[in-house]
Amino acid sequence: MSNQLPTTNNVSERGTAVSVKDLRVSYDDHVILENISFEIPENSITAIIGPNGSGKSTLIKAVLGLTRTEKGDVKLFGQPLSHVRRTIGYVPQRFEFDRQFPMTVLEFMELARHEHTDKKGISRAIKNVGIKSGVLREQLGSLSGGQLQRVLIAQAILNQPKLLVLDEPAAGIDVVGEAAFFQMIDQLRKVHGTTIVIVSHDISFVANAVDHVVCVNKNLMCSGPPKLALTEKNLERLFGASNIYHHHSHD
Amino acid sequence: MDAILTMLSYPFMQRAFLAGILLGLLLASLGVLATLRKMAFFGEGVAHASLAGISLAILAGVAPIPVAIAWAVLIAIAIFWLERSTKLSSDTLIGILFTASMALGVVIMSQTAGFQPELISFLFGSILSINPGDLVIIAAFTAIILAWFGTSLKQLTYIAFNEDAASIAGMKTKTQTLVLYIALAIATVLGVKILGIILVSALLVLPPATGRLLAKSFKSYLWMSLLVSEIVIICGLTLSYFYDLPSGATIVLTGTGLFFLTTLSRQVMKR
Repeated sequence: MSNQLPTTNNVSERGTAVSVKDLRVSYDDHVILENISFEIPENSITAIIGPNGSGKSTLIKAVLGLTRTEKGDVKLFGQPLSHVRRTIGYVPQRFEFDRQFPMTVLEFMELARHEHTDKKGISRAIKNVGIKSGVLREQLGSLSGGQLQRVLIAQAILNQPKLLVLDEPAAGIDVVGEAAFFQMIDQLRKVHGTTIVIVSHDISFVANAVDHVVCVNKNLMCSGPPKLALTEKNLERLFGASNIYHHHSHD
Repeated sequence: MDAILTMLSYPFMQRAFLAGILLGLLLASLGVLATLRKMAFFGEGVAHASLAGISLAILAGVAPIPVAIAWAVLIAIAIFWLERSTKLSSDTLIGILFTASMALGVVIMSQTAGFQPELISFLFGSILSINPGDLVIIAAFTAIILAWFGTSLKQLTYIAFNEDAASIAGMKTKTQTLVLYIALAIATVLGVKILGIILVSALLVLPPATGRLLAKSFKSYLWMSLLVSEIVIICGLTLSYFYDLPSGATIVLTGTGLFFLTTLSRQVMKR
């Protein structure tokens, strides 16, 4: 795998993977998101960032049709969600299960396998996330947090999705694992052309490794390449302080 | 051997064994999913709630099982709808609906004059109570539910593990969950005849719990649960016949005995 950070392509040369127009979501008269419009370029690694409780996860759930929207238009690869559902991979923020439940990793992977994906695709997906195929025989409940997260990503990429969404992946990764994580998703993008969207409250986790950001705190605060979008002024509007963005390399 | 052949020569025992074997398959299969979804209380609630349907049927002088099934299906739909509209946990909702429905059953019963032996058999289960009509109903529902279970198992398991990812993958998560609730409700009411309202939910829980102690994969878990269920039903019914014991209680005690025996064996083998 390459140790280089993802290169920033010219957005205008690429198609649009996600297009959101004038989105509004509310629960019981409480507005969670409003006036949200942005685009995510195809074949990019995009971070949706914002402080805790800013509506990031709600935004991604609205994009993926998991929560009801009050108004707005969402298109994925220029089409309504219902037309492209099977081309999306999703790793949720929380994956809680009974660790004593008898299920092998292979059986867990099989749950998500589409009929057009051959069985060898499981070994390929496991290899793509950097773990040995021997893990397939192990019990799902016996995996460490880091291994489990990689298995969840392997399951999400099993059917070679065009769009991979990772909700708060930093939770299962230690500082040492960050570089390997970003190498892995960069490789997915380069080899398979997958558009990757990472939802994170931790700006220092994503800012150096993505080529597009969408900043949300109830409203859209900024959107674009990090160097242009993550200005001091925007960060202050987003987090209430500008010094929370610490540049560091994932290499 | 002669005694066993004599037992099997009685039509009521033939019907009890056939019904038991079918219900063992049905309840253990659904029990695997119920335990995965932490829904063990669902069977308990629906079984108790079915008292209202059974009481209503006895009062009206019609066959209790179809009425109890219709009532249990309504309860299952109510639980599904309330879960989504109130955001309360299913345990809380089942607790509310099960006690309300039981209370309704008691009120209806109070309008029925005299001793009700049929009602007592529904409460505690009876191997004598399976008539040919019941057997046909049990066989038909078992075939339909197991056919759906077989084709939907992968989806149902994925939904239990990760409902959001399953929904994004295009699976009809709400419909499948509702059908699972309805299937569980029907299976529980069918089991009431042999096991009784009070004990039927044990067959949803005990075989998967024992199977889980023996399994290392999901596939073996499912097969072990089915095997344990059939052993428990066959041994329980046989003991019930020979010692003139209530069938439901004997089956449950057999299952509990096997569960503890398996737990002890595992502990001994670990040493």
